[in-house]
Amino acid sequence: MKRKILAALLASTMVVSLVGCGSGSEEAASTAATEDTAAAEDTAEEEAPAEMSAAAAGENKLTVAAWDANFNIPALEAAAEDYKANVDDTFELEIIEQSQSSDIEDAITLAGSSGDYSTLPDIVLFQDHWIQKYVSDYPDAWQDVDDADVDWDDFGAEKLSYSTINGKHYGFPVDNGTVVFAYRIDVLEECGYTIEDMTGITWDEFIAIGEEVYAKTGKYLLSMDGDGNDLIYMMLQAEGGSQFKDGQPYITENEDLVQVCEKIVEMVQKNVCYLANDWSDYTDQTIIGDMVAGVMNGNWIIPTIEQVSENSGKWEITSMPTLDGGEGYASNGGSSLYVTANCQNPDLAKKFLAYTFGGSTVTYDGALRDGGVITCCISAGQSDVYNEGVAYFNDTPIYAEIVEMGANVPVIEQNDFHYTARTYMAAAIINAVQGADLATELQAAEDNLNFAMGN
Amino acid sequence: MKNKKSTVLAKQHRAGWIYLAPATLLIAVMSFYPMIQAFIMSLKTGSSANMQWAEPVTYNYTRMFQDKLFIRSVGNTFLYLIIQVPIMLVLAMLLAQLLNNKDLKFKGLFRTCIFLPCATSLVSYSLIFKSMFATNGLVNSVLLNLGLIENNINFIGTTSTARMVIIIALIWRWTGYNMVFYLAGLQGIEYSVYEAAKIDGANGWQTFWRITVPLLKPTIVMTAIMSINGTLQLFDESVNLTSGGPANSTITMSHYIYQNSFGDFVANFGYASALSFVVFIMVAVLSAINLKVGDKRDD
Amino acid sequence: MTTKKKTGHSTIQRRLIPTYIFLIIVSLISVFPFYWMVTAATNTTVEVARGKIVFGTHLVENFTNLLAQQNLWGALKNSFLYAGVQTVVALFICSLAGYGFELYHDRYKDRLFSILLLAMMVPQVATMIPLFKMVAKLKLLNTVWAFILPAISTPFLIMMFRQNSRNFPMDIMEAARIDGLSEFKIFFKMYMPVMKATYAAAAVITFMNAWNAYMWPKVVMSDNRAQTMPMLIANLAAGYTVDYGMLMMAVLFCSCPTMIIFFVLQKQFAEGITGAVK
Repeated sequence: MKRKILAALLASTMVVSLVGCGSGSEEAASTAATEDTAAAEDTAEEEAPAEMSAAAAGENKLTVAAWDANFNIPALEAAAEDYKANVDDTFELEIIEQSQSSDIEDAITLAGSSGDYSTLPDIVLFQDHWIQKYVSDYPDAWQDVDDADVDWDDFGAEKLSYSTINGKHYGFPVDNGTVVFAYRIDVLEECGYTIEDMTGITWDEFIAIGEEVYAKTGKYLLSMDGDGNDLIYMMLQAEGGSQFKDGQPYITENEDLVQVCEKIVEMVQKNVCYLANDWSDYTDQTIIGDMVAGVMNGNWIIPTIEQVSENSGKWEITSMPTLDGGEGYASNGGSSLYVTANCQNPDLAKKFLAYTFGGSTVTYDGALRDGGVITCCISAGQSDVYNEGVAYFNDTPIYAEIVEMGANVPVIEQNDFHYTARTYMAAAIINAVQGADLATELQAAEDNLNFAMGN
Repeated sequence: MKNKKSTVLAKQHRAGWIYLAPATLLIAVMSFYPMIQAFIMSLKTGSSANMQWAEPVTYNYTRMFQDKLFIRSVGNTFLYLIIQVPIMLVLAMLLAQLLNNKDLKFKGLFRTCIFLPCATSLVSYSLIFKSMFATNGLVNSVLLNLGLIENNINFIGTTSTARMVIIIALIWRWTGYNMVFYLAGLQGIEYSVYEAAKIDGANGWQTFWRITVPLLKPTIVMTAIMSINGTLQLFDESVNLTSGGPANSTITMSHYIYQNSFGDFVANFGYASALSFVVFIMVAVLSAINLKVGDKRDD
Repeated sequence: MTTKKKTGHSTIQRRLIPTYIFLIIVSLISVFPFYWMVTAATNTTVEVARGKIVFGTHLVENFTNLLAQQNLWGALKNSFLYAGVQTVVALFICSLAGYGFELYHDRYKDRLFSILLLAMMVPQVATMIPLFKMVAKLKLLNTVWAFILPAISTPFLIMMFRQNSRNFPMDIMEAARIDGLSEFKIFFKMYMPVMKATYAAAAVITFMNAWNAYMWPKVVMSDNRAQTMPMLIANLAAGYTVDYGMLMMAVLFCSCPTMIIFFVLQKQFAEGITGAVK
C-alpha cells in the first residue's frame, strides 16, 4: 500500500515537475523577449502577439506587422507620428517587425487554416497579389474599409484594383510599385545614345542597342531574377495583357505573351539581359556588383541602385519599351495595409489609416524621406518633397515622375494563382534559355497551371 | 506468501506501464493523431478555412499521378537517394574500418575531424555550400586557377551541377555521423573473433564479408533506415541551397509539399496532406524492405 | 629481439601510409568548409563572393553589423533555452520509456514498441498542419512548448535507451528490490547513474537536433522575438540584399555551441553509441 502511494506520488510529482519546468521556461522566454525588445528600442511594447489585441482593445493603440526596417517600417513610423501630432497625442502604434514579407503571408495562411485569427495583429502589411486569394480563402479574416473617410479616386486605379473586391475596399495602399527603367546615361553616351533614345522604343530596338552596349562596355542593359516571372509580368502589363483571361490561364494563345517570352529568350541569348539564379544574385551581383547599365523593376529597386555610391549622378529613369514602340507602364510589387478580424477597434484603425495613408502629405513626405517609400496617392505626390531633384539621378525629380507614371499603369486581370503561374513561367523561360523549345515549354507551363488550378 | 509475490509482480508490471506512458502518449498525440487528421484532410479539397469532402474522395490521390512537378520531385528525391545513400554508407564503413585499426595513430583527431560536419545546422551548411559554389565563388576560382575549366560554371543555376552540389553537400554532412555508428559497432566486435578468422586462413576481404558485415548488420540496417528516411524527407537543402531551382529541377518531395501548404503556391492543404501520406507510405515500405533484408535480430 | 619488434612496428606504420594519406584528405575535406566559414566571417561580402580564402580585416565590422541588424543575443538565448529544455525533457521521458520497454518487457510492450517505431517514418511535413492547429488552439504559439512538444518523445531515443538498457545488470535490480527500494527509486538511484554515457550520447544528439531545427520553428515561432539561430541565419540569407561576411559571422555563432558540446562530450558520446549498436 505504502509503495502504491509512493508510486502515485512520484508519478504526480513527475507531471508537476514537467509542467513546472515548462511554465518556468515559458516565463523565462517572455522575460527574455522583454529584455531584447527593450534593447532593440524600436518596438515600444512588450507583450507577445497573442496578447496584443486584448491590450489594444478599448485604448488608443493599434498593432501592425510589417517587414522592412529600411523601407515600410519608417513609413509606418512617419504615419504614427503624423497622427499623434495632428489628431490624437494619446495614440500609439506598435510595429511588429518581421524579417521578410513571407513571414506575414505564412502567419496569415496559418491563422486562416487553423481558424484562429487571434494570432494576427490589428493591421497587416503584405504584397498586393495575395489579397484576392486571402479574401476568398479566409473571408472571416478581414474587415472591409469601404466606409473609411478617403477619396479613393485620388489613388492610381491599377493599385486599387487589387484591394477592391466585389466593389468593396479592403486595403490602404502604402507603396507604389510603378515600374521604372533606369539607365546609366554615361554608358549610353559612350555608345552614342541618350535617355530620350531609350524612351518609347520597341523591344527589338532595345535589343539592338543592348547588343552594342554589351559589345562596347561588357555591361548588360538589363538583368532579372530568373527564379520568378517578374519580367514577363511587367512586359506583358505594359502591353495591357495578363497571363489570365476570364479566370483561366491565357498563355499559348496569348500572342503578346508568346512574343514577350521570345524577346526575353532572345535578350538572354544575345547578352542583353542577364538572368540571375535568385534574388540575392540579382541585387548583390548584378546591380550592386555593377554588372548592368540598365535596371527595370518596381521603383522600390531604387535604393538598391543607389547603394553603388560611385555611380551617383550617372543614372536617369524613363518608361519601358513595348512591342510596338509606345511608352510602357507597369507595376510590380507594392503592398497595402489590411485590417484583420482580430482588430477590436476597427473604427480607430480606419480613422488612423484614412488620415495618414489616405492622403496626408506629412505622412507621405516622411515615408519618402525616411524609407524611400513612394506614394500612389496622386495629390500627395505633388508636394515639394516630391518635386525635389534627386542627386543620384542627375538631379531629375524622379519621385514626381514616378507618381505621374503610376497613373498610366493599365489595369489587368489578376488571379489567385498569380504566384503559381510565376513558378511555372519562370521554369519555362529558364528551360527555353537553356535550349528547349519555347512553344513546348509554354504549353507545359499552361498545362501545369491548369492542373494546379484544378481545371 | 504466493499471494504476496503476485502483488509484487503486479506492482512491477504496473510500474513498467507507467514508465512507458508519457512517451507513448506523446507519440500518439504528436505523431499518430496528426497523421490521422492529415489523412482525413487528404480526402478533402478547398481552401484551408473551409474544406469539403472531395468528389470523389480519392480525388487528391488520383490527381497526383498527373502532377508533373510532383513526379519530378519524386524523381529528384530518389535520385539523391540512390546516388548519395550508397556512396555515403560505403564511405562511412570504409572510414570506420580504417579507424578501427589498433596500430593507427591520431585516431581521435581523425574521428573528430570527420564527425565535425554534423555539428553544423542544416541551414548553415546549405549556405556555406551555396557561397562556396557561387558563380564567382571559391570552387570556380580554384578550378579556373588549376586550368580545369575555362569559364566560371554557374553551379547552382545549371540542373546537373545543382543536383551534384546537393549530393556533395549531403555526403559531406552525413558521412561522419554514420561512421560513428559503424565505429561503435566495430568496437563491439571482440578482437579474438578476428584472430580466430586469421588462424582459419581468411583474408581481409573474407573477414570483412563473413564476420564484420554479419555482426554489424543491425547497425547497417539502422543507418540505412535513418538515411533513407532522412533523404526522403529532405527539405532544408532544397530550400536553402538551390531554392528548388533552376526551373524546379532540384526540388524535393518535402519542399514541394511545403510549397503546396505555404510558399508560393495556393495553400492546398488537402492535396499537400495526400502527398505527404504518399511519402509516409514510401518511407514505410522502404524501411520494411530494409528490415526484411536485414532480418535476424536477436529479439 | 627488441630491434626486430621495432622494425615490425615501423613496417606496420609504413604499410599504414596510404591509410594516413586517405584519412588526412578526408579530414581536410571535412574541416575545410569550417575554415571557409571562419575566414569568410572576416571578409567583406564582395571578397566572400569572389572566393577569398585568407583571413581579412573585417571581423569587427561584420560583428558590429550583425549586432546592429539582428537580435543576435536574443536568438542565441532562445536557441539555448529551447534546445536545453528539449534535451532535458526528452532525455527524461525517453530514457524512462526505454528502461520500461527493456527491463519490464513482455509481449504487449514489445508489440507497442514496434507500433511506436512507425512514428519514425511519419514525415514532418505531413503532421505540420494538424500540429500547428493543435498548438494554436492551446495558445502555445511562440512559446518553448510549441517548439519542444513534437520532439520530446522520439522513437529513435527510446530505441537508443532500450538497446543500451540491455547492458544494465538485472541482478542489481533484483538486489535493490530485495533491499526494499521502490521501482522508481531503482530508476533514479541505480539506472540513471549507470547509464551516464547513454545520457551523454542522447543529449548530444537531441541538443544538436533541437539547435538545428528549422522547418517546425519556422511555422510556430513566427514572432521575431522568439526566433532561433537557424531562423536568424535563413532570414539573413533571404534578405533584400545579402551581406555574406555578416552572414558567415552568424553561421559561425550558430555552429560554435554544437561543436563545443560535441568536443566536450565526445568520449561519452562514442561510448553511448557503442552501447546502442551492440
